[in-house]
Amino acid sequence: MGLFDKLAGWLGLKKEVNVLCLGLDNSGKTTVINRLKPSNAQAQDIVPTIGFSIEKFKASSLSFTVFDMSGQGRYRNLWEHYYREGQAIIFVIDSADKLRMVVAKEELDTLLNHPDIKHRRIPILFFANKMDVRDSLSSVKVSQLLCLENIKDKPWHICATDALKGEGLQEGVDWLQGMRKVHLIESKCVSV
Amino acid sequence: MSSVDGSGDAGKWLDAHYDPLAGLYTFSSCVDLADLSGDGESRLLVGDLGSGSSGMKLKVYRGTALVSESALLDLPAGLVAFFMDLHEPRIPAVAVASGPCVYVYKNLRPYFKFTLPGLEVNSLEQDVWQQARAGHIDPPTLKEMLEGIRKKADIPLSVRSLRFLSLEPGEIDDFVQLHEQQPIRRQTVITCIGTLKKSTADEDGVSCLVIGTENSHVYVLDPEAFIILSKMSLPAAPTMMDVTGQFDVEFRITVACRNGNIYILRRDSDKPKYCIELTSHPVGLLRVGKNVVVGCTDDSLQGFTQKGKKLWKAALPAPITTMAAMDLPTRGFQAVLVGLANCEVHLYREKNLLGTIKIPEAVTSICFGRYGREDGTLIMTTKGGGLMVKILKRTAAFDDRDSAPGPPLAQSVRLNVPKKTKLYVDQTLRERENGLAMHRAFQMDLSRLRLTAAKAYVKALESSMTPMSSSLSEPLKMNAVVQGLGPSFKLTLNIQNTAACRPVINLAISFLCDESLYRMRNPFMRIPLLVPGLVYPVETFVECTSDKGISDIIKVFVLHEGKSSPLLTAHINMPVSEGLTLN
Repeated sequence: MGLFDKLAGWLGLKKEVNVLCLGLDNSGKTTVINRLKPSNAQAQDIVPTIGFSIEKFKASSLSFTVFDMSGQGRYRNLWEHYYREGQAIIFVIDSADKLRMVVAKEELDTLLNHPDIKHRRIPILFFANKMDVRDSLSSVKVSQLLCLENIKDKPWHICATDALKGEGLQEGVDWLQGMRKVHLIESKCVSV
Repeated sequence: MSSVDGSGDAGKWLDAHYDPLAGLYTFSSCVDLADLSGDGESRLLVGDLGSGSSGMKLKVYRGTALVSESALLDLPAGLVAFFMDLHEPRIPAVAVASGPCVYVYKNLRPYFKFTLPGLEVNSLEQDVWQQARAGHIDPPTLKEMLEGIRKKADIPLSVRSLRFLSLEPGEIDDFVQLHEQQPIRRQTVITCIGTLKKSTADEDGVSCLVIGTENSHVYVLDPEAFIILSKMSLPAAPTMMDVTGQFDVEFRITVACRNGNIYILRRDSDKPKYCIELTSHPVGLLRVGKNVVVGCTDDSLQGFTQKGKKLWKAALPAPITTMAAMDLPTRGFQAVLVGLANCEVHLYREKNLLGTIKIPEAVTSICFGRYGREDGTLIMTTKGGGLMVKILKRTAAFDDRDSAPGPPLAQSVRLNVPKKTKLYVDQTLRERENGLAMHRAFQMDLSRLRLTAAKAYVKALESSMTPMSSSLSEPLKMNAVVQGLGPSFKLTLNIQNTAACRPVINLAISFLCDESLYRMRNPFMRIPLLVPGLVYPVETFVECTSDKGISDIIKVFVLHEGKSSPLLTAHINMPVSEGLTLN
């Protein structure tokens, strides 16, 4: 560990952050997480996740522990057991699946109304994924369909992404880091 | 936009898509769901009937969009997706039955056409047409002879001859010229189509096609060679069918026929094994588990065992338009969706109604299954050609109320009945012994009560104490209204002459009240001539002089000049003067 890293650790900037990665099946959660990992650790084939998998990677100042949850209908009831640990949420949406946008909204509403989430100012990052698919909806349209403007008590951000090429992901992660810093500063202020 | 907030139906369904102008005119038998590209996403296959005479199409939907459309030659009678081979990737073929043919599509391209074997042609009919071709007989004679054959022969005429007989005299020459060169063929048409697994019960096992025809036969076709593996006959033309089992092992074909009966065919015989005779014609036939559920024209849903024993019957609020099975193997849930003419879709498990879905229009077809990547998707088309997709919520639960047979739960709860007391027992004994005397005493008291009431009534009539005048010469009606809080009240008397045509004159009103409590402004008033039917308001003011907060009755008399007995009497209960307390 270098001197600078130590310094960052003492300042409380080098923190572990638990992130939940949620979304319907086939929305691209695992692909998104895979893209965020360093290029030598990326997997070539992405298969449907069973249950969940834990991935760790470092962004410039934070180290993320991501719970990559399975989005299949029968595993979705596992999500709520990890809400308590999560300090941020990544919600991935398949922008090309217009039919199931209503299902994504339903799952999001269930998430937001869960007692472990409802009263926390937990940042939510939305990835409107699969922008490369023809006829996919824009991120504005996705946020309209999911009624994101109704989320008033939590910071949220939506990015149009293409996880296959990795476009748009960095913007989202930067936002999440920014939110994390704000959160740390806020919590310090509270403790003082 | 298509997605709407999920609402209604107790929040069990999400409204995923509704396009009222999709232009889909079809029935449940022509709708199926299948993963046509092998990517795990199911497509919706629709055999569109178009306008009924043109525009028949095979349409394929993916998500909310129409992805493929190909024209059909004839009206589709049924559409099924089935696996016809073991090739990888596992992509099902689509069979569309129309007219006497089954058109098989692979990768949405025409692949094979199977035509039903021709039927025996009436030899007399053939001779007659031959003569016509040779020019021995002219078209009118041909028509006469064909009509003769139609009446007598046991082999029915071909479609061509029947068409010829229905023509107008002006058209027959052209028709004969056009058709006389072609040989006569008689063919039957397909009425219903189903699939039957060949040897394995796997989800993606190879399936045979099962075809019901107008001439009361059921054929089982080999999926690869398209030869007839088995032929079974029925007493009547089949209209709907349900197939289970495997061809090589054991199978059951449940067929609803046009004679209103349901027949059950089995592997070992070419004749029906069991018969269910219904009281009214069937409009829908489904299998739920091991039982058969039938919707009938008498607005009822009936359940039968697979041996034809009736289990239950549920009455429906409206005629049935269509039916579909709702099968969720992951939750172990099986039910029946019934589309009704009153724009509702009811969900029944056995005879219990589990839910109702309101639809803007009556539905013509229902299909439930995996669509896209969602297992519990309900797809409906409406009378106006609309397409509606609903998705079952992950959290939706159908409560199991009265699915258990027997009396309702409340019946078995023991009530806390107190023990019989000595008094109760004595009373019961007394009632049992002296029943007659008690009844007599009761009857006597009742008669006395009636007498007292009648006496009081007569007395009231005699002293004209009612607000209705009983006198024949001056039939009057009066009601009084008191307005105000006090101490000053306004008293309005509405007087009406209820006679048919005679006016009443020389009437007066006088008031009687406690002088120490009330002061009337004019205690005596003359009433003008009363025209029949009109209501005359007579107003006066009353002042309450007491400050003790008590009220009294004011009596109103309607009098005829020169007579001392009043025509009408009214007692007005004056309200307590609230004005005084305010002062």
